[in-house]
Amino acid sequence: MSALLQTRGLTVSYGGLHANSEVNIVAEKGKLTGLIGPNGAGKTTFIDALTGFTPITSGLAEFKGRDLVGLSPSERALNGLVRTFQSLELFEDLTVWDNLIVMAEKTKWWSFLADFVSPNRTLGIEEQSDWAMNLLELGEFRDRLTLDLSHGQRKLVSVARALAAKPELLLLDEPAAGLDTIESQQLGRHLRSILAEDITILLIDHDMGLVLSVCDYIYVLDFGKIIAEGTPEEIRANTDVKRAYLGESAGEMQLEGGTDAANSLSAERKQQ
Amino acid sequence: MKDAFAYAFVGLGIGGLIALLAIGLVIAYKGTGVINFAHGAVAMYTSFQFYYLRNNGIFHFPWADFLPTSTLNVPVKISLNGGDPMNFWVAAFFALLTSLLLGASLHYLVFKPLRNAAPLGKVIGAVGALIYLQGIGMLYFGSEQPQPAPVFLPDVLVFNFLGLGLPVPAENIALTGAAVVIGAGVWFIYRFTRIGLATRAASGNEKGAVLLGYSPNRLALYNWMLAAITAGLAGILAGSVIGSLQVGKLTLLIVPALGAALIGSLSSIPLAVAGGIVIGLLQTMTGSWLTSQSFFPGVLASGAEDVIPFVIIIVFLFLKGKSLPVRGALEEKRLPSSPYPKRVGWYVMIFVPIGAAIAFGLPGDFLFAGLGAQWGFAFSTSILTAMLMLSFVVLSGYLGQISLVQLSFAGVAAFIMARLMSTGVQSIDDPFAVSGFGMHWIPASILGIFVAIIVGVIIGIPALRIRGVQLGVVTIAASVTIQNLFFNNENLTGLMGGVNYTVDSPSLLGVNFGSGSENGLIDNPRFTLFALLVLAGVCTLVANIRRGSTGRRFLAVRANERAAASAGIDVARTKLLGFALSSAIAGIAGVMFAFQQQAIGPQNWEYFVGLGALAFAYLGGIASINGAIIGGMLTGGGLIATFGAHHSEGSYRYSAIFGGIGMILTAITHPEGQAPLYQPLIQAFGSWLKIARVKEWLAVGKRLGPFIVLGAAWGAIGINPWRTDTWSRSWMMLLAILLTLFIRTIVNQIRHARSANATPITPSKQEVSA
Repeated sequence: MSALLQTRGLTVSYGGLHANSEVNIVAEKGKLTGLIGPNGAGKTTFIDALTGFTPITSGLAEFKGRDLVGLSPSERALNGLVRTFQSLELFEDLTVWDNLIVMAEKTKWWSFLADFVSPNRTLGIEEQSDWAMNLLELGEFRDRLTLDLSHGQRKLVSVARALAAKPELLLLDEPAAGLDTIESQQLGRHLRSILAEDITILLIDHDMGLVLSVCDYIYVLDFGKIIAEGTPEEIRANTDVKRAYLGESAGEMQLEGGTDAANSLSAERKQQ
Repeated sequence: MKDAFAYAFVGLGIGGLIALLAIGLVIAYKGTGVINFAHGAVAMYTSFQFYYLRNNGIFHFPWADFLPTSTLNVPVKISLNGGDPMNFWVAAFFALLTSLLLGASLHYLVFKPLRNAAPLGKVIGAVGALIYLQGIGMLYFGSEQPQPAPVFLPDVLVFNFLGLGLPVPAENIALTGAAVVIGAGVWFIYRFTRIGLATRAASGNEKGAVLLGYSPNRLALYNWMLAAITAGLAGILAGSVIGSLQVGKLTLLIVPALGAALIGSLSSIPLAVAGGIVIGLLQTMTGSWLTSQSFFPGVLASGAEDVIPFVIIIVFLFLKGKSLPVRGALEEKRLPSSPYPKRVGWYVMIFVPIGAAIAFGLPGDFLFAGLGAQWGFAFSTSILTAMLMLSFVVLSGYLGQISLVQLSFAGVAAFIMARLMSTGVQSIDDPFAVSGFGMHWIPASILGIFVAIIVGVIIGIPALRIRGVQLGVVTIAASVTIQNLFFNNENLTGLMGGVNYTVDSPSLLGVNFGSGSENGLIDNPRFTLFALLVLAGVCTLVANIRRGSTGRRFLAVRANERAAASAGIDVARTKLLGFALSSAIAGIAGVMFAFQQQAIGPQNWEYFVGLGALAFAYLGGIASINGAIIGGMLTGGGLIATFGAHHSEGSYRYSAIFGGIGMILTAITHPEGQAPLYQPLIQAFGSWLKIARVKEWLAVGKRLGPFIVLGAAWGAIGINPWRTDTWSRSWMMLLAILLTLFIRTIVNQIRHARSANATPITPSKQEVSA
C-alpha cells in the first residue's frame, strides 16, 4: 500500500482564524477514504487547499510523492488530482457530452490551430468519456444542455465530468447533499464501482450513513482539526465523533442532562 | 519641480469636474450596482441644455422626431422665453430638471428592466443609453461648439496661485470647491439619512433590504435621480472650464471619472472626490509640463495626459479588483446561449455565390437599382462590419469577456498596414504621401494584423484579474488611450495636419480587386467578392473555433472560471488566446476597411464608432455567427440602413439614436439578439420544404396568416410615408409582410418579457420553442 495523497500539518488560516489546523491525512491508493465533519468543520477549505483554490498557510501536501505547493489548479487537475464542487459548477452552456469532453481532453498549445481546420477530429478521449457517461447512466442526456437537467441528474453529471478526466485521485465534495436516501445509496454503489477502475477516492461529506457504509478509512474533522480516524467500526464507536455531531443538535440536551432541561421547559409552559 | 505644481493647479477646474462626475458614478453604483457609462452623456446633455436655455431660452427635449412625416411631427424643442436669454437661476432650474428627467428615465426605461440581467446586459444597457444620448446630442448640438461664460466668477484670475507663479482662473478654484461641497453633501445624505442608510443596506444585501420592507426599486430611483443631479450640476458648471462644449469630449469625461470613482473603490465619496481632483491635476501637469520636458519621449508627447486615467484604472482594478464590493443582487442571469453552428460549409457554398451574383448585379439591378451606386458600397460595408462583429462574437459571445475596444484593434492593423505600404512619393493622387516602407499589401496586412494581435494580448492581460463590468471600464479607457496616443498622435502616425493615409488597391497576379470603380465611386463588385470570400473564411474560422476544443474551453471559462481551472483548463492562457483570436479577426476587418475606404485617418476609429459596432453586434446577436451577419446588415451605412435612407430621407442622422434604443430594447427583451427571432420563420420555411408536414404548415398559416394578409395590404398601399418608386413597388408587399411578422415577434417578445417578470420563467426559452 502506498500513499497517493498525504498531508502533514496542513494549516489554512484566514487572518487569525484557522479553517484547517495541522491536518494529517493519508489517502491510500485504491482505497475509498472518507473525510467527514459537521457544517463549518473546514471540509471544503481542505479540498480547496488541495486543489489550489485557496493557499496553504503552512504544512505539506504531497500528491504522488510530489509537493503540490506552487502548482496552479489546472496543473493539479492535469496531474490527476480532480475534484467536484458542492455547488456543482457545471458548464451550463455546454451539453452533457461536451462537459465530459472538456474535462477529458488535454490540449496542446497548437490545439486551436488544429481547430481551425478540423474541429471535429477524434481526440482519443471519446472512449473514457463514454465510459464515464455510461457508468453514471447519463446516456440519454448526452446532447442536452446541463441547464435543462434536474438537480439529481446534474449531480451525476458533475461526478461523471470529474471521472471523464480519468483521475488518479478523485476528490468528491459533498456528492450526497440534496439527494434522497435511495439516490444516496445508488451513489454509494457507483462509488465502489469507480474504485474498481483504478481510481482512488477521497469522499468528503457530512452524511454519516453514506460515509460509514462505503468508506475503507475515515477521518473526522471538527473546527478545522482531525478529532478521530479509523475504520468505519472504530468511528461508529468513537465518543468524540458523537459529541461533534450531536452537539449541534437538540440531541445534546438529551445526552447530557437533557432530561432536566426538558423538565424545566415543561414546567415553564405549565406556569404560563 | 515648482513649475510642475504650478501647472498642476491650473487643472483644478477639470479636476473638480471629474470629481463631480465621479460622485454620480459612485452614487449609481452604490444605489443600483450599475457602472453607468452614460453618466458623462447625461452631463453633456444638461450642459448644452443649460447653455441654450441661458442664451436663447430654448428647451430641447431629449428625444428625436421619429415620425418621418412632414405634416405630423413630435415636438422636440420649445422656446421658453421668446428667444431671449434667460435668467441664470431659471436656466439652471430647467437644466437640472432635464437631468432629473434623464435620471428617472435611466431607471425606468433601462436599468429597472435590466435589474436581473447578466453583467454584459447591464453594460449594453448603459452603453445603449450613452449612444442614444450622444446621438441626440449630435442631432441638436453637434454642429456647434459654443464657449460658455463662467458661471460663478467670470474672468477673475487668481494671480500667482499659492505663490507658485502661475495665474489660475478663480472659476476653476470655485468649481473644485463646489465639487468638495457637493461631495460632502452626498456623503452626509448617505451617512445620516434614512434613505442613505437603506441604500447602504441594500447595496450590502438586496434580499435583506427587501425583507426589511425597503423597495429596492424605489431606492434605485432615488439614487438615479441623485446621480443625475450631480451630473447635471457638472454639466452646468463644466462650460467655462473645458473651453468649448463638444458632444464627444463631454461624453468622454466618463473615462477619467471612472478612474476617480475606482480610486474610491466605487463606494467612498470622499476618496472619489479626492481622486477626481488628483486626476485632473496630474492630467494638466502631464499635458502642459511633463511632455515639454527634455527627458520625455517626444513621440508620446501627444495624448500622454489621456493615458493617466487608463493607468489609474488598471492599477486600481489590479490591486483592488477582487475586493471591490460586488453588489448583492436578487438573481444573476447568464449570458445568452451560444448555438452550435451546423452545416457551415453548405452555408458558405450557398451564400457566397448568391452574394457574388448580387454584387455583380445580376438580380442586383432589379433589387437595388433604385439605390444606384450606393448599394455596392452598402453591401461591402455590411460585409466588413459583420467581420468586425465576429470579433465580438469570439470574445464576448464565446469567452464572455466584455470588450469595448475591438474597433481600436481594427484601427491598429489598418494604420500599421497603411504606413508599411506607404511609399512617401507624392503624386496627384496622393499629394500628402506619408513616408513609409512601400511594402506589398500582403506582408503589410499580415504585419498589421500581427501588431493588432500583440496589442490585443496586452489589453487582455488585465482581463486575467479583472472581470465582468470592470473589464468594460478597462476596455473603454483602452480604446480612448489608443485613440489619443496612437491614432491622433501625429508624431507617431506621420499624418500631419489631419491628412489621411492613402491605401493602394490590393491586386494579385495582375487582377486588381480594389474597391474603386471607373466612375470614381467605391463600389467595385470585385472588391465586394473579395470581402465576401474573406468573410466566408472568417465565418468558417469562427464556426470551427466554436465547434472545436477551443470553443468548448471558451464556453467553459465563460460559464465558470473555477470549474474550468479544476478541469485542467489554464484560464489565463485561454483568455489571452481569446483576445488574440478576436483582435486578429478585428485586425482582418480593419485591413479590409482600409482597402474599402482607400483613405483612412484617425476619425475612422473613434470610440463612438466602436460603441456603435458593439450596439449593432448585440442587436444582431452577440453569441452567434448569424447575429454578426444580421448586425452587419443593420449597421449604419450597411444594407438596411442605406435602404432606409433611400426611402426615408435623412434617416441616417437617426442611426445612432435607433442603435441606442435598439441596444437597450434588445438587452431587455431578448439578450440573444435578433438572430434567434428569425429561427421560427426559417423553421417554418424548412417544414414547408418538407411538404409532408401539411398539418404543421396549416397551423403556421393559421397563426401567421392574418398578419401576412395585413402586411400584404400594407405593402399594396405603400409603406407610408416611405418613398415608393416604380422599382420598389414590386417587392414592397414582401417587405411589408416581413415587417409585419417582425413587429409581431417583437410585440410577443415584450409581452413574454412582461409576463416573465410576474412569473419566474425565462422568456427566451419559451420563445424558441414556441
